[in-house]
Amino acid sequence: MTNVDRAVQLAPRLDRQVVLKVLFVGGLLSSFVWGWTHLDMSILGFFKDLGNVGNLLKRMYPPDFSETGRIVESMAETVWMALLGTVGAVVLSYPLAIGAAANTTPHRAVRGVCRSVISLSRAVPELILAAIFVTAFAPGPFPGVLALALHSIGMIGRLFADAIETAVEPPREAVISVGSSRRQMIRSAIIPQALPSMIATALFRFEINLRGSAVLGLVGAGGIGLVISESLETIQYKPALAAVAVLFVVILAIELASSAVRRSLIGEAANLVLQSQHQSLFSRFMVRRDSERIRRAETTRAISPPWTSDRLFRVGAATLALALVAVALFSVDIAWLSALRNIDEIGIVLGQMVPPSFVGERNLVVSGLLESVAISIVSTTLGVVVALPLGVLMARNVNLRRWLATVSRVVVLALRGLPELIIAVIFVAAMGLGPVPGTLALSVTVAVFAAKLFADTMEEVSPAPREAVVSVGASRPQEFVASLIPQFVSPFIAHLFYLLDVFFRSSTVLGIVGGGGIGYLLIQSIRVFEYQLTSMIILGVFAIVLVLEWLGVAVKRLYR
Amino acid sequence: MQGVDARGSDAVVSIASLSKRFPNGTVAVDNVSFDVPSGQVLGLLGLSGSGKSTLMRLVNGLHRPTSGHVKVLGTTVDECSPRELREMRRDIGFIFQQFGLVGRMTCIENVLVGALGRLRGPRLGVRSYPKNLRRQALERLDRVGLLPQAFQRADTLSGGQMQRVAIARSLMQEPKVLLADEPVASLDPESSVQVLDLISQIAREDGMTVICSLHQVELAIGRTDRLIGLRDGRVVLDRLTAGADQESIMRLYRRSGAAEGTPDPARQFA
Repeated sequence: MTNVDRAVQLAPRLDRQVVLKVLFVGGLLSSFVWGWTHLDMSILGFFKDLGNVGNLLKRMYPPDFSETGRIVESMAETVWMALLGTVGAVVLSYPLAIGAAANTTPHRAVRGVCRSVISLSRAVPELILAAIFVTAFAPGPFPGVLALALHSIGMIGRLFADAIETAVEPPREAVISVGSSRRQMIRSAIIPQALPSMIATALFRFEINLRGSAVLGLVGAGGIGLVISESLETIQYKPALAAVAVLFVVILAIELASSAVRRSLIGEAANLVLQSQHQSLFSRFMVRRDSERIRRAETTRAISPPWTSDRLFRVGAATLALALVAVALFSVDIAWLSALRNIDEIGIVLGQMVPPSFVGERNLVVSGLLESVAISIVSTTLGVVVALPLGVLMARNVNLRRWLATVSRVVVLALRGLPELIIAVIFVAAMGLGPVPGTLALSVTVAVFAAKLFADTMEEVSPAPREAVVSVGASRPQEFVASLIPQFVSPFIAHLFYLLDVFFRSSTVLGIVGGGGIGYLLIQSIRVFEYQLTSMIILGVFAIVLVLEWLGVAVKRLYR
Repeated sequence: MQGVDARGSDAVVSIASLSKRFPNGTVAVDNVSFDVPSGQVLGLLGLSGSGKSTLMRLVNGLHRPTSGHVKVLGTTVDECSPRELREMRRDIGFIFQQFGLVGRMTCIENVLVGALGRLRGPRLGVRSYPKNLRRQALERLDRVGLLPQAFQRADTLSGGQMQRVAIARSLMQEPKVLLADEPVASLDPESSVQVLDLISQIAREDGMTVICSLHQVELAIGRTDRLIGLRDGRVVLDRLTAGADQESIMRLYRRSGAAEGTPDPARQFA
């Protein structure tokens, strides 16, 4: 009898982990079914709704560009607001992330505090923050910038902390071993590893904030949202479409620039097999020029790095970013000194928020929150189902037809240009008030948002195991399933909870445009200065976010 | 150079004036020719950057040559269609310096991946593979001494164990040729000896043809039949291992190094 016969066990035993995984998948499915029935959705109605949306889009076409001057001006304001909001958030997030990451935090207590601050800022939607700040200060871009900055900490701080935590250990130990201080260690061992991901995060958030700042006008905080909402309120669909089109083009341009920077940061996948061998004339020229520069630097024993195309690009991008921030600071119509001096107005409003109270609307709050949860579960599920194949199509290391990857990427990026609230406004106009148009609008946003997330993750999957699988003679589908999917599962689970998190938050403001959920009650409470109810609702939202986060941590541990 | 290509007629791997030039201008392999007869265990020596890895990758078609030809088991690799290439790769095991395991998968799953070339369609999870293959995978793991770890995740193993799982994965292919690209470069000396002994033992038991690249001469002696040395992509040494000692090999390196007036690489082998 051989060892194998003795130890024969051709499949792993059913253990606790497997049972928990089955439970998780079952829970996921049943929560979707619950949400679907709770919202009274039906497959038949789904197609009817699509027809209604199509009809409305026909009425919006062609766009009316008669007010281009005003559109461009407010578009510029939108871009500067988004930029300043993101920069403010990055500045505030950096120390918070250092404190929140397990490998850099000075103390466990500090870690808890930083994590809570980051989570708290995520719980309040930027639109709600903006609405509050507009009542505290005055309508204009300043409340918008402030709202964007404070809210973005939630994502930037968390992703910065994640990037710091994924830094590998050996360099950290090596730097400590030469007798460096903790701050030196963070600078020399951790940040260099985390920086590409951090810059990518900041750029990604800037793109999100661009869409965020585009709808801030809905609550009076300036930017192109004001133009769009005014046109829509007066049923001038054609000028509205013109403004949306401008928004589209600007977001697309910025997105393309930012993804180019991102790619140069991460570096082309060093996998020569899976990459097509095609090279443009220009890139061949640059490669030759670079190797010549490197050789010259070697022979002259230069003490600073040679100006290769990579370095030129990086330094150029950094300079450009700084210049843009400077321009933004001067061109946004904000009296910075007096605005910052009046920052204590926030304190007054905050004072009116305590103690949180239902003020007799308990049932409305609970049913609104439940509806928001249902909306977020259904729309996230529907969106992810569409996003997975889309992500595969977009990932350049999986889809070797590069042109197809590029085309699908451009289509998705273009669709991302539409802020979810703008989509929701259109869907509500086509189907009437209620949670179903809100859910469908959110699904579209989830699909394109998640597709990009998935594609980016697939592109970052380690090529070494893939090459090994190719070398045994596996076909491409076999290679995809045997080496890429197992590496994708754990980030996918993380993304799933991240999406639920983001889009639960989105579902809480859909009500502002009549798309269902808790949003209607929330914005009304601000408009009638019932701040105690506002804070109660925010607390409820925060509690749900915490539950989601806790669930996410548990499930992520399961799929590590 | 001593002639060792006498048995060239039954060559399993046959390399003829092979060159590889990368887009950035580096010539990694420069006009290399040699034949490997069936059952021979060939040690490919050279410093890092001498072209060993590129040569290995050219042999199983992970790279395409700029000029010249590679013939493996009667198939001309550089003229293959993608399908033919896949079919040929089934018979060639490849061991990577970095193991190439998916850390999240169990050892047995990583080993089963080696059978993909024989199967149709994609597979995910142990249960998606037929029972006889699962049994085979366990036998392979037993052969490399890791049966108890079969259902453990690959990223819980030590480096030496990971490389043994990778060997088991190659064995799953029932390969006629085994290419090992610096299989011990990321291992400690003890595991290095273990892994190399395992490779040469398996090669002799199964009559496998092996090309194994190394940068330590002393590890090659006693475990290989023949040694080929590369420098700057060119063959600078080709002799039988029998009777060779570290001194004589380094002398050969020194002679060819002096002839070209470049710094002495042999010193770095010590």
